[in-house]
Amino acid sequence: MIQSNLDCRPLLKINRCQLLCSAALMAFLPIILMASNENSEIIRFEEIAAKAQVRHVHKTRQFPGKKADVLEMFTSGGSSVAVADFNNDGFEDLFVTSSDTGAENRLYKNNGDMTFTDVSEQAGVTGGNDPLSIVADAVWFDYDNDGWRDLLVARFGTPLLYHNEGYGKFKDVTARTGMNRFGNTISAIAFDYDNDGHLDVLFGNYFPPENLIELKDPHVLPNNLDNAVNGGGASLWRGNGDGTFLDVTKKAGLDNQMGWILDAGHADFNNDGHQDIYLAGDYGTDRLYFNNGDGTFRDLTEAAMGFDTKKGMNAETGDFNNDGWMDVYVTNITDEYMKECNMLWQNNGGETFTDVSKETGTCNTLWGWAAKFGDYDNDGWLDIFAVNGLRSASDDNYIPVLVNMITAPGMDFTDVNNWPDIGEMSWSGYQKKKMFRNLGGQAFKEISAAAGVDNNLDGRGLGQGDFDNDGLLDFYQVNANQPALFYRNITQEAGNWIELKLIGSKSNKDAIGARVTLSAGGRTWISEVNGGNGYAGQSTTRLHFGLGSLGSLGSLGSVEIRWPSGQVDKVTVPVNQITTIEEAKGVVSK
Amino acid sequence: MRKRAFLAGLLIMMICLTVIADHAVAADPAAAMAEMEPLLNKEPDNLQLGARYRQAAIQAAQYDRCIEFYQKLIELRPDASNVRLNFGFAYVDKIPAAGSITQVILANNALTEFTKSLEIKPSWLGYYTRGNSYLFWPRIFGRTALGIKDLEEAMKIQQAEAKRPYHVRTYVALGDGYWKMDELDKAKSVWTEGLKQFPGHAGLQARLSKQGDELKSVMDEAYDPNLRIDTSLEELWAK
Repeated sequence: MIQSNLDCRPLLKINRCQLLCSAALMAFLPIILMASNENSEIIRFEEIAAKAQVRHVHKTRQFPGKKADVLEMFTSGGSSVAVADFNNDGFEDLFVTSSDTGAENRLYKNNGDMTFTDVSEQAGVTGGNDPLSIVADAVWFDYDNDGWRDLLVARFGTPLLYHNEGYGKFKDVTARTGMNRFGNTISAIAFDYDNDGHLDVLFGNYFPPENLIELKDPHVLPNNLDNAVNGGGASLWRGNGDGTFLDVTKKAGLDNQMGWILDAGHADFNNDGHQDIYLAGDYGTDRLYFNNGDGTFRDLTEAAMGFDTKKGMNAETGDFNNDGWMDVYVTNITDEYMKECNMLWQNNGGETFTDVSKETGTCNTLWGWAAKFGDYDNDGWLDIFAVNGLRSASDDNYIPVLVNMITAPGMDFTDVNNWPDIGEMSWSGYQKKKMFRNLGGQAFKEISAAAGVDNNLDGRGLGQGDFDNDGLLDFYQVNANQPALFYRNITQEAGNWIELKLIGSKSNKDAIGARVTLSAGGRTWISEVNGGNGYAGQSTTRLHFGLGSLGSLGSLGSVEIRWPSGQVDKVTVPVNQITTIEEAKGVVSK
Repeated sequence: MRKRAFLAGLLIMMICLTVIADHAVAADPAAAMAEMEPLLNKEPDNLQLGARYRQAAIQAAQYDRCIEFYQKLIELRPDASNVRLNFGFAYVDKIPAAGSITQVILANNALTEFTKSLEIKPSWLGYYTRGNSYLFWPRIFGRTALGIKDLEEAMKIQQAEAKRPYHVRTYVALGDGYWKMDELDKAKSVWTEGLKQFPGHAGLQARLSKQGDELKSVMDEAYDPNLRIDTSLEELWAK
């Protein structure tokens, strides 16, 4: 109604009309936001994996020997997705993993029309599931800053690194990486912890570093189911920019815990220009490390949020309440037999956090795995999509069988031989996925059924991106031992948007760690480019902002980019467009 | 005469112990535990003192110390039903402070002790306590029916006694048990009878005034292992 009276769209610089528009908008902003928040069922997705030719079926590793069943159950992750525009054609592509012996990973090239072509064989990136290694995660990152994203495949084993040769082919450069320390890695992220312009790699390791396929000692399972200290911990590898990496875990101060790490996330939590780390730990305590800015971290877990005993599965970051501080969303296990509740860590403005999951209605996603922040209706508030479900099989339930073992006096949980076989039983299976629509930063409403995303597959990872460049976030859901799903966002009455592709020059080329502050219509948002936050799924590095009704004025969004190098650029960008910004150069193309 | 004098002396001693315990707990719960431990060693089956010892442990957050103390006390008096009860409650007291899987282990240990207590000496308190504990287990474990059986036994005992304020607990829990077994009519019948016997009881009113998801929310909160329940047993001694 404001626009019809004051048409400012042709104006590209501030003038009287625009000021009037802004003033009017500010006056009506609460009404606009309220109207937007009342309509909680506008978000809609359609599942198009088959039509898009990306219905990849993950295969869980089958183990040999007497306790194959138990080990398969414990390693039922490994289904992951990584999103990036690997061929620089302007469309986001997909890399998805499998885990069984000889099972192949797949690279799907986006054709630009929401169909994809499987180019895995030509690219040479199908491998990794050899008899002694299990593929578990993947992350795209341009380690040598040549402008082409390279691919790291994390494994229960040692990682693989593929160099992007720039013409649709990749070269296996694993042998020279130096990353030859065995680990049961389930999570990998890439970021520049020391802001030297070269991307580094952080691994979250689940089991202790024993090869589960050639099991010599059966005592490889958690030594405490609420506070285990015999997991794989985290390992940090400093990138030299030439494809070699140096293990700096100890030097950086990340060797003080040996949790069962399932996910790692990074963000600048205290707004000091350095990337901090959140580790989500299964069977016990998550960890929060603040970056000292000198190549080391300090563990502030206890002071910042306290020690928990939950089953941390996911570490996603974002500013859900638009207060200018990065928050964290962690999934745990909440089910009939276990009432953990997730953790939505609201950043208190520096180095402490408050869990507001109960207050905001984001507590229960059942047996949680990946969860992502994303503004699915472009109303200016980050929504959440969370996948869940461990194992969907027969009607028989594994839990009573398991509890008999757990409650047996003197039980040694570490011994794989003590765990009962699961056979065809289900364990937290057939769970409906959860989508939470953000109602203005204070509360969320669960809308998965109305949004068309309440599938009941055994979800694991999520990769988000705007795959058709229409300004709406789509996502790809990978599942354990089941086909993947591809959800296209078909929300009809979505708000306006801005998408930013950042290119570092002094900073790392992928601009991972860059902080963008967007101002439009009197409102401000922040976002950061991340290198794979969230369990088993890397989303696009393109930053997406929903603007609600603000952009309908045709106004420009004012953007400040704080690059990892410390360089600060200020530009203006048009709404409803994808804009590319290069460090120290500004807007370089649409 | 001698018996009467002995009982009077015992009563005075118990009152003194309780006063000492109350005083000490408020000031320094950990120190109060240290004061009560030798007293409990002398009087292991003293239900009231044992309960106050546990309350001190809760205040001091020294759950493991409490459990270990009762473990030793059991070795001294394996045949004492109240020691078993307090031992079971010591596990229960730790549950809200424990991780989700440790909660299961603690709850199971508590049930073991409550069963042993009943085997030694059946009582209203024993049946109510074990029956109510079974209700905390999700239905998939098949323990809800066992809980109902115990609570029906507790109901029989209390109906044969003079009415006491704490008897309302059985009406609440038995109705809850039926609700958990999807026997809503039976649940409502028990809650209604309870409200007739104990007019104005908030828990019963809440259950009878709600249905569907709202009633489920009441149940979820009542049986949330992360929320501390009152195990002080103070109602037993309330005038």
